[in-house]
Amino acid sequence: MSQISLTPDPGLRTPDRRRPATTNTCRVCAPLGAVLAFRGLRGCVPLVHGSQGCATYIRRYLISHFREPMDVASTSFTESSTVFGGKSNLATAVANLRDQYAPEVVGLCTTCLAETIGEDTRGIIRDLAAADASLPRVIHVATPSFKGCQHKGFHDTVAAILAQVAQGGERLRQVNVLAGPVSPADLRHLREVLNALGLPAILFPDYSDTLDGPSLARYEPIPAGGVGLDEMARAGRSACTIQFGDTLEPGPGAVLEAAHGVPLVRLGLPIGVQASDAAFAALAEAAGVPLPESLAAERGRLVDAYVDGHKYVSQRRVAVVGDPDLAVALAGFAAEIGMVPVLVASGAATGRMAQALALRGVAGAEVLEDADHDGIGARIAALKPDLILGPSKSYPTARAQSIPLVRVGFPVHDRIGAGRILHLGYRGTQRLFDEVVNTLLANSQDTSETGYAYL
Amino acid sequence: MRKIAIYGKGGIGKSTTTQNTVAGLAEMGKQVMVVGCDPKADSTRLLLGGLAQKTVLDTLRDEGEDVELDEVLKPGFCKTRCVESGGPEPGVGCAGRGIITSINMLEQLGAYDADKQLDYTFYDVLGDVVCGGFAMPIRDGKAEEIYIVVSGEMMAMYAANNICKGIVKFAETGKVRLGGLICNSRKCDNERELIEALAARLGTQMIHFVPRDNVVQHAELNRKTVIEYAPTAKQADEYRTLAKKIDQNQMFVVPKPLNMEELESLLVKYGLAA
Repeated sequence: MSQISLTPDPGLRTPDRRRPATTNTCRVCAPLGAVLAFRGLRGCVPLVHGSQGCATYIRRYLISHFREPMDVASTSFTESSTVFGGKSNLATAVANLRDQYAPEVVGLCTTCLAETIGEDTRGIIRDLAAADASLPRVIHVATPSFKGCQHKGFHDTVAAILAQVAQGGERLRQVNVLAGPVSPADLRHLREVLNALGLPAILFPDYSDTLDGPSLARYEPIPAGGVGLDEMARAGRSACTIQFGDTLEPGPGAVLEAAHGVPLVRLGLPIGVQASDAAFAALAEAAGVPLPESLAAERGRLVDAYVDGHKYVSQRRVAVVGDPDLAVALAGFAAEIGMVPVLVASGAATGRMAQALALRGVAGAEVLEDADHDGIGARIAALKPDLILGPSKSYPTARAQSIPLVRVGFPVHDRIGAGRILHLGYRGTQRLFDEVVNTLLANSQDTSETGYAYL
Repeated sequence: MRKIAIYGKGGIGKSTTTQNTVAGLAEMGKQVMVVGCDPKADSTRLLLGGLAQKTVLDTLRDEGEDVELDEVLKPGFCKTRCVESGGPEPGVGCAGRGIITSINMLEQLGAYDADKQLDYTFYDVLGDVVCGGFAMPIRDGKAEEIYIVVSGEMMAMYAANNICKGIVKFAETGKVRLGGLICNSRKCDNERELIEALAARLGTQMIHFVPRDNVVQHAELNRKTVIEYAPTAKQADEYRTLAKKIDQNQMFVVPKPLNMEELESLLVKYGLAA
């Protein structure tokens, strides 16, 4: 089995006897993270090795967020594939994908079932490739959901792709940017900044087109966009890897550092002025040019907005819910604008959120890892924050507690435009700040007996 | 119908003992079905005169779920009915799930139905209860009596004790009970006393002491049970005695497994110090 586990491993959890069951889970399966990452590879069809329902669930969940077509293939285990192993199903699946999709690459991730019966996916893929040269390349990653959620699945897949595709060689004037499971809008913004710096970069995974594309007259089974295998092969020759993610230890970029000596620069997600400063400074340093005027202007407007809005957000209490890296970054942003993060919660179990929050200067917040929405809701009910920053799954709590919710992260499936939510950089922070302030203003307006039109 | 599962350490002689015992019961006129629960599918070889059986799982794989009982159930020595679960090749898939699939399939096909007028079903199960699949025969009331084949060797006794832990677990929720230990002699020192003492500590009995006899090897090479190959041999009578004792057995207990220290002290007391 190939086991690339450079990203958070929750390890064995101590059972919480006060919590006999998970109620309203705050995480989804690891293969969902894998499918998302594979969508950032050009010409890739994700293939989920196991029973069919796993693929269906992932498709439906991702479609509800991105509102884009989402083809995910399955090796469709039956009773006899479970007993005899899934080799013949996998062979059939890859051949069918070749015939129906003609993909450049197949992204294979495993389900709990395949992992439990100990499928030797690497060995099977090697045999298939040796037997039939017409089959597309298969990149594989082990994603048992009993060992992590979508966050780990995503980063393990990025690591697997880098490990299986990137080659070493003469250094090139380019950088790798591993942005994590951010939104298509975030990816587009990072690309824009990289272009403005004139910095050739492999921004990976890049699903900004594949998961937020135009309306087409004819259905394209594999949407255009993503980073090509040829480009990924050159990732081992970059000057450095810039990796975002506050809780990654060490994260997928370590693969390139270990295999090809590409230095890894680990940064927090660029949300907030300070974190964006650090991220853009790293990019500018790699480019060897100063930051463009346009970015300085965005920063200037953001700081001005902080001043204008401070009286509305100062000392207001906020709960943050989401993927560990996003939750930590948002809490850092909230603290930066003078709010008081009282709860930072994630369904993932990285064990590193408290430490990452301290690095962001967030003190005193209650940290919940490995949490479910029932538990998070109970803490929100007790802490009574003024605002929740979280995904749609936080809505029932927000509604029950009459606390306004600003939707961020994943999943956002009770609004449209999830893929266009910008979180990163001065511009993303600006958007977040305006929405946070306006949401607080709207809430005091809506709940006031007097219809103030001037606040 | 009595439903019996035979467990014990790998290589201890479960399949040989099971088939010879079944031959003894069949000779007495009992209607017996043997279900081999081992991917190697060698649990019915001596009754069938060779590996003549297409396994349940091979049939399922080749022909889908439209399987007829006749395709997987073959008549063996003295009208015994022989089934092999089968399973994946070594290192692939999930043999434990195979046992579950196979037994469910046999139930669906009516192998245990009253119209089959079975007196006995024997499950011959591979080695230890290593995972849920290999515990299948003792779950859900499928087998209600367990006999553990053991010898005076430490690891065989350790495995027997471990299997007892599995029985305890399933006895809480079902009807499964331990019927006794069958000592398949390896000619260890004080073997009979040792296994009798182990049985007493577990709260069960040593139902029979099967002495070592080379005629078993000869019979195996001829793909026959001793009862068929050498019906007048002394060893054939040993198996007939074992069959009779099982047929008349009334002692069914929830065992009391030992801890490792107790087990080792037992071995020292009887096996070495004597």
